[in-house]
Amino acid sequence: MTDTQSMLDLIARETARILAEKGETAAASVTTDTAFLDGPLPFDSLDLATLIVALEGVTGKDPFRQGFRQFNTAGELAALYAAA
Amino acid sequence: MTRTVIVTGGSRGLGLALTRTLLDAGYNVATCSRSLGDALPALLDAYPDRLLWQQAEIGEPASTQSFIDATVQRFGAPWGLINNAGIAREGILATLPLVEVDSLIQTNLTGAIQVARAVLRHMLSRPGGGRIINISSIIGQRGYTGLSAYAATKAGLDGLTRALAREVGRRQITVNSVAPGYLDTEMSGTLSAGQRDQIVRRTPMGRLGTADDVAPAILFLLGDGARYITGQTLTIDGGITC
Repeated sequence: MTDTQSMLDLIARETARILAEKGETAAASVTTDTAFLDGPLPFDSLDLATLIVALEGVTGKDPFRQGFRQFNTAGELAALYAAA
Repeated sequence: MTRTVIVTGGSRGLGLALTRTLLDAGYNVATCSRSLGDALPALLDAYPDRLLWQQAEIGEPASTQSFIDATVQRFGAPWGLINNAGIAREGILATLPLVEVDSLIQTNLTGAIQVARAVLRHMLSRPGGGRIINISSIIGQRGYTGLSAYAATKAGLDGLTRALAREVGRRQITVNSVAPGYLDTEMSGTLSAGQRDQIVRRTPMGRLGTADDVAPAILFLLGDGARYITGQTLTIDGGITC
């Protein structure tokens, strides 16, 4: 699972799971342009950290191993994993 | 489902007492140390299904990660972490070798942060909350001649406790420090007779503490009754800092 669209699908599933565990639902589906923070998702920084941990667990990849890399949207995050 | 608690540095002193107390209380316990020590083999025989030990060097990320991985593989995501592993090096700071300073920080502070980070990744991956308890020290609050670097690491742990408590509280993960006073363990073996007498004189309870004076409080913090206590430092010192 390395291409960007597959990663985006995975990100959407894991995001929905994390929100469900909080008892929340996303108002809209996660797309390439969906921002994680200060966007339409009821997502906070700890939720985002949980998502990153989950993605590493599924893919075995950690694009942040050498330091933080800036991203804002689901598409940008998917691209980081696809390139890792 | 039986809850699992990780105790770093469980081969002797407070860590050993905690390991024994938690096993008696029904927890699974995963512990690590540089060597197995004299007492753990008997506990491993007595609790073959609920006690895991692995050699590990706290402060070395690969070693720490291997221990955490083994714990999760055996017991699943842990409920609790007790950051207990620590070393003490005594010496006037002006002449304390820098290698000793680095070693203190690496083991007592960096190591504890590494373990907390690794364990949190598993705690966050499942709902239900958790417990992190950092074993700091009254030395970090009040200081003691010859223990400046040690005190800095313990004060650092208290800072970690307060910040991390704010960070993960909304996931029902509590983070607290337990700050023992002077305990009658191997770590206090370097105290001179004069120092010990002075400590006893200044302690309202009239004696040094024991590991078994501290373990029950940690057992409480691990339990459901402590679910709303977070970001705190619980001092257990026979009153010497009161």
